[in-house]
Amino acid sequence: MTNVSIRGLSKRFGGKSPTVAIDNLDLEVGQGEFVVLLGPSGCGKTTTLRCIAGLESPESGRVCFGERPVYDAAAGINVGAHKRNIGMVFQSYALWPHMTVRKNIGYPLRTRRIKRAIASEWIEEVARLVDCGPLLDRYPTQLSGGQQQRVALSRGLVARPDLVLFDEPLSNLDARLRDQVRTEIHELHQRLKFTAVYVTHDQSEALALGDRLAIMRDGRIDQLATPEEVFENPATEYVAEFIGMANRLQLDRRDGHWVYGGHAVHGCPTVASDEMAARARPEDLHLAPASENAPEDAVWFPATVVASEFGGRYIDVVISIGDERLHSRLPAGERGNWARSLLPGDPLLGFFPAGTLTFFDNTATRIPTRGSSTAARMAIGA
Amino acid sequence: MAADAVSVGMRPRRRRVTRARIGTAVAVGAFTAGLGYLTVVPLVRLQALAFEDRGQGFVDAFTRPGIWTTIRMTIALALGSLAIALVFGTALAWAANSLSPRLRPLRALPILPIVVPAIASVLGWGFLFSPRPGYLNALLRHLPWWTDIDQGPINIYSLPWIIIITGLALAAFVYLFVSASLESINGELIEAAQVSGSSRAGVFFRVTLPLLRPALVYGGGVALLLGLGQFTAPLLLGRTQGVSVLTTEMYFATKQEPAQYALAAALGSPLLLFGVGVLVLQRVLLGDHARFVTHGSKGFRPAARSSRLGAVAILLYTLFATVLPIVALVIVALSTWWTGDIVPSTFTLDNFRNVIETSGITSAIRTSLIVSVIAVGIALPVGFIAASILYRRREHRLMGPVLDFIVAMPLSIPAVIFGLGFLLTYTQGPVVLYGTNWVMILVYVTLMLPFSTRMQLSGRVALGDAYIEASRVSGAGPVRTNLSILAPLMRPTFGAAAALMFVLLANEFTASLLVRSPTVQVMGTVLFDTYDNGLYPVVACVALIMILVTALGVLLAVLLSGSDAFRRL
Repeated sequence: MTNVSIRGLSKRFGGKSPTVAIDNLDLEVGQGEFVVLLGPSGCGKTTTLRCIAGLESPESGRVCFGERPVYDAAAGINVGAHKRNIGMVFQSYALWPHMTVRKNIGYPLRTRRIKRAIASEWIEEVARLVDCGPLLDRYPTQLSGGQQQRVALSRGLVARPDLVLFDEPLSNLDARLRDQVRTEIHELHQRLKFTAVYVTHDQSEALALGDRLAIMRDGRIDQLATPEEVFENPATEYVAEFIGMANRLQLDRRDGHWVYGGHAVHGCPTVASDEMAARARPEDLHLAPASENAPEDAVWFPATVVASEFGGRYIDVVISIGDERLHSRLPAGERGNWARSLLPGDPLLGFFPAGTLTFFDNTATRIPTRGSSTAARMAIGA
Repeated sequence: MAADAVSVGMRPRRRRVTRARIGTAVAVGAFTAGLGYLTVVPLVRLQALAFEDRGQGFVDAFTRPGIWTTIRMTIALALGSLAIALVFGTALAWAANSLSPRLRPLRALPILPIVVPAIASVLGWGFLFSPRPGYLNALLRHLPWWTDIDQGPINIYSLPWIIIITGLALAAFVYLFVSASLESINGELIEAAQVSGSSRAGVFFRVTLPLLRPALVYGGGVALLLGLGQFTAPLLLGRTQGVSVLTTEMYFATKQEPAQYALAAALGSPLLLFGVGVLVLQRVLLGDHARFVTHGSKGFRPAARSSRLGAVAILLYTLFATVLPIVALVIVALSTWWTGDIVPSTFTLDNFRNVIETSGITSAIRTSLIVSVIAVGIALPVGFIAASILYRRREHRLMGPVLDFIVAMPLSIPAVIFGLGFLLTYTQGPVVLYGTNWVMILVYVTLMLPFSTRMQLSGRVALGDAYIEASRVSGAGPVRTNLSILAPLMRPTFGAAAALMFVLLANEFTASLLVRSPTVQVMGTVLFDTYDNGLYPVVACVALIMILVTALGVLLAVLLSGSDAFRRL
């Protein structure tokens, strides 16, 4: 086990339209920590992982495992992938089809010249950990997708490497298996405490697994924080959108009122600038009959139903405010519930309860308000 | 200051990184230079010879009587056979694609003309359609409207018929490219056109054909080059009626007393120039893209519904292009004389006994086998290295394209020219190899470079990077990764490439005829000599033996890598 320290890492891809894959990236991964690199495709997360693995050569910067530099542009150090003492789990599993499961798992031990007797003990042990004991003498093609990924997992862990890298290991599995293997990875990490860097574009995977998340954009890290912090207090609008705050209200101040879609929005916080954006999750947009009043401290506005879809436990409602649309997800409740009777054209009241909206200034940076701890303190100060 | 101290202290390490890179670059450069020496030097020497004495070779070549007829016939042969090959090749690919799953194995049949020795099938055609004793001609003369003629109606020795049989043979190459491309068209594209209101013909011309264009251009290009370099059919069939093309004129120039090498070299120049031109054009137009045939991934549905017509078309083509010529060879080989009448009661195996005892065929078979096996043994690892370099061509900006060009050359420059170049290069210093097996081996290795490299490169591309990277992050260095992961995974490709090359080399006739010496004879050259002496039943025996040896190679290939072995060309 070791910690990983990345400083000023940069990588460009040449060709006809050169692109910056990693842009002066800094990242510290503590010993035994599980860090998830999260972002959409093309944000540089996989390239970063491959640079840590030594499968890709960066152009500048420095990567250290503990005290040992494995890449240092200034010093001309670039340790080969096979000498970095790591384990890696690939998206495509990459199990060698000409070897049995036992040989696949044992390969990292053979390359490390570990004695046969010890090796076979370690293989059995790690296979038992992921429930693959009975599969050891089969070939990879005889296994299901979930079994293959478990074998790949044991191959990554068997040699007790300093660092385990995961490159979207669950995205080839179907939904049910994905949850199952995700839980197993989480358990294994709890038990073995290996240092891990995990790449994914799936926010629920990231939230469930990571000790800390690094949300990446254009080769940089937008926010690096615990899952709770990222989920509740996204640092930038980009992070907010990526983490599921799909509703966006572009607010402009006219004559002392905040306006969205040509209509007044009440209950917004006091800020200095004349424009800002607000974001919230569909679950946080509540609806009520037009005759009711919004709860205290809520941000509210009158709106009209555009469409309503029944989704079992919940109802998805699209509402309009002027020309703009917002998406609300309401609990379906009992039969005869008010929410189930909504028809297109019905007028109603939309509101965000206190603290559910996150506000961003025109540089897309979060404006501290009520709901976040700093905002509370500021409110007291005021 | 501290930063300065660190960077000064670390400087030697940076040098180490660059030194490793330079080492790789030097190794790649040396490999490319070696291959370049092997392939380019003979061609350069050939051209230098044509330019000697103020281009006397060119003067002789292009002022001699009949040269323009020769050039006209060369172009007619190339374009005529190209047209036939494109139509038949595309039709066959279409037919193969519409086979029902049960009849799928028939897809391998249209490739047979590539596998059966060209010299054997050309002789077979001769036995079928020679004006007087040709078996099928004799049969056709029984038709009521032809009873009054005593020869014909088909004259296989005339230019149109030489074009037709060449075109039928080249159709196999077009088939190879087009059928691969046709298979990769997603059936939903066809269905989308149908539900949009197109008729079946409309779909074919508006959707399918445009999608096939890259394959048609590429396959057509290959067929055109092969048609221009066509040697066997005009040599064996064209002589009696004055059909001559540049390649045969080159060969006859070397057979004059004294041998007119400068003349031969000059006659080859237009073909050489055209071949290199096509190659350059192709690299400029297509870049790297044409190399890799992509396959639809998700939601892929094969196109076309099954029809019996496809099977009939494929069987008919196989009957005419492959089966009938071989049947003719068998009949002649079993007869005492080639007359045109088939009298089974007089069939005898004496010819075979005769051949094995006298004509030197046994030693030629041995030489063919030895030379082919050694050449495959060299071409396979050389192709593997070339494929590995081309696979990482991004890292070899300078040498990658050069190597790509060198490796592709033997496919676009006629084998006659390579044969002549090697003959000239290795009969004089610094390295004299004429009269040994080694000239033959070297020319064989050169001719196989494109096949060896192409097949292994596409095998490597299909394998992808994940297996190799998984090995590296598991702690395996390059040597272990190559031996324990890459080599076992590539084994089917190695097997298929080796078997294919063996078959092509056992069949080799053109280049062999030029570099052979009285002591170094292979099956093809012995066959040609017996044909020259006019002992037709003996010729047929030798041809059948050649086919048999080839068939064993094919069997080996199928055993090693399944019935699709030859579709990976």
